[in-house]
Amino acid sequence: MGLLTLAFAAVALFAWIPLDTQTGIIEKVRRQVAIGDALAPSVAAGFLILGGGLLVPVERNAEHQPRVSLRGLGFTAGLLAIICISFVAMRYSGPLVIWIVNSAQGGDLEYRLLRDTAPWKYIGFFIGGTLLISCAISLVEGQVSRKALFFSVLAVAAMIIIYDVPFDDLLLPPNGDV
Amino acid sequence: MGTLDYILMGIQAVFQGPELFSFLGLSISVTLVMILAGFLTGIAVGATPGLAGPVAMAIALPILISIFGYTPDALLPVMGFLIGIMKGATIGGAVPAILFNTPGTPDAFMTTLDGYPMTQRGKAKKALRVAHFASASGDTFSDIVLIICAPFLALLVEAYLDLPEKTALLILSLSFIAAVIGGSAAKGLISTGLGLLAAYIGTGEDFYPRLTMGQPGLSQGFPIATAVLGVLIIGAILKELEDLWRRRRDSGILLEHRDQGDQRLHRADIRRLLPYIGRSAVIGTAIGALPGIGSTLAATLGYTVGKARYARKKRPDAPEFGKGAAEGIAATEAANSSVSGANLIPVLSLGIPGNAAAVFLILAAESIGGFNPGPSVFRFTSDSVNPELVVAFGLFTAMMIANLLNWTIGGLFMRSMGVMIRIPKQMLLPGVLLLTLTAIYAQETRMEAIWFTMGFGVLGYLMRAVEISPLPFVIAFILGGKLEESARQAFAATGGDPWFLFTNPIAALFMAMALGVILWTARKKKGVT
Repeated sequence: MGLLTLAFAAVALFAWIPLDTQTGIIEKVRRQVAIGDALAPSVAAGFLILGGGLLVPVERNAEHQPRVSLRGLGFTAGLLAIICISFVAMRYSGPLVIWIVNSAQGGDLEYRLLRDTAPWKYIGFFIGGTLLISCAISLVEGQVSRKALFFSVLAVAAMIIIYDVPFDDLLLPPNGDV
Repeated sequence: MGTLDYILMGIQAVFQGPELFSFLGLSISVTLVMILAGFLTGIAVGATPGLAGPVAMAIALPILISIFGYTPDALLPVMGFLIGIMKGATIGGAVPAILFNTPGTPDAFMTTLDGYPMTQRGKAKKALRVAHFASASGDTFSDIVLIICAPFLALLVEAYLDLPEKTALLILSLSFIAAVIGGSAAKGLISTGLGLLAAYIGTGEDFYPRLTMGQPGLSQGFPIATAVLGVLIIGAILKELEDLWRRRRDSGILLEHRDQGDQRLHRADIRRLLPYIGRSAVIGTAIGALPGIGSTLAATLGYTVGKARYARKKRPDAPEFGKGAAEGIAATEAANSSVSGANLIPVLSLGIPGNAAAVFLILAAESIGGFNPGPSVFRFTSDSVNPELVVAFGLFTAMMIANLLNWTIGGLFMRSMGVMIRIPKQMLLPGVLLLTLTAIYAQETRMEAIWFTMGFGVLGYLMRAVEISPLPFVIAFILGGKLEESARQAFAATGGDPWFLFTNPIAALFMAMALGVILWTARKKKGVT
């Protein structure tokens, strides 16, 4: 970890910071010397070098070493995939439902115009939120259960009541983006 | 305007602020109601394993801002609610520790050692009363120290520290936090470095937004809430869910222990407990005043000191320390509760947050505006009113009201919260995850903010996986901008002297201390290995 930190700090210090800032560590503006935009990130990289540098000689032989479990990382990757899929579902399910309604009834509804109108504005949050909570519970429990689905529906309904019903100026996801 | 005038204005701002309703002809201000609501919420949250004060603060903040808006009038109701949560969660954490051997908050772990054995002996209510009495005592003591010390410290800073010294003080604070949090100076430095680097993305003085790699989404930098909530809350939830999955432990069948015999807390009990509470309150307050040292260390130290005293004073028929001694609960709870008030000393006097709860208070102040915690708050101007000072005294008043609530209804409400343990964590945590992301979206109103938060959440998870404390990251992220601005001003004020941190004796002393604390902690770590 120490070596990785040192490598990252070196890349930041010698490539990222010089290439991605317009002013150097110190710059001259109208005959006055001032601190440039590169100094502060360089100090941050300095903290990383100090930390990585201390980690290698001092803590390398410590008895207690953190063990990262690959299976644990796999579980978290699965959980993150669920979160991403749920938010994609949240983003597109409202417009999709509108498209289905338009196709079935031949209307010309637009989700963008309905994003602050119940019940349309809840479709995306309800579907995506229920998917997220129920799938995450099922992943942890190792089984799909009606209890998990019931709890997730209840939780999402409660969030709608907390965040949306009492307030006119708060938007539930994804209604600020559509 | 004298000091007394400011104190009175602060008290009036709380009691005579915007009226919510009137009761028997008496006007009840919205701030009072918010303190009460925050306090009760805090107890419920603290009593729920898997939740903690900062989670409730994160979820509540956008709702509160939506209700009260971005006006100076919003400061006291919003911050009063957050202070209520902070105090409530501290005593709430003892409930599951005593009743079910499961600490509601990490600092309540030591409470399980004596609390649960007392429950097994049928003395659960008495154990809860001891915890409440000790917690309320420690908290009140700590708040009194805060009220006395914070203004003096701020005045000292303003009087003696100029721009180079203030820059050096910020570096010293960051080094101290890096060195002491998590017990590894090296990992603390990495966490601090990452926090600073994240803070500098998309910011700076030049027209070109630095370190954005050409991404327009990064050109405004990361919103502070996405970094703080991502690393602190989402990271913790991801790690906790992984741990739950690994253990696949359900809440199981809860053993029932019936209360037996006298459950009251008598004067003789209080007299016996007071020396333990007093010592722990002093330990907790001293530790809390130093930024970054958490309440868990205070609880451990308070417990250890209490144990040494108990070994000398123990009656022959009394239970051993760690096996159901009320003194053990008192020593632990007084120590961890007295951290919360003292932790606000560096926040209010220096603008440096010392723990997660303080981070959220700063976040609230920055979101609403009109109050910038730091030495300038305590400018006792005589010709005009300093509104920030009125808010500061309003906050002190809010803390004392929360203490009053703690002494009066806190115990009763706390004892009724045993039911919260029955909510299974694997159901609660995904709900909290969505709630936190919804809170972010409500504040930022763009999907990008959700992805930023998840990115920081993954970082927080990875940091926990390799045992790097995420708190230095968050504190560095918050202080990063202030550090750069202060350095720029100091550099300009000293006529472009590149050695401005070392030519001034106080600044040089701070820099030497910053290096010293890192080397000392690193050497200590080497000695252990």
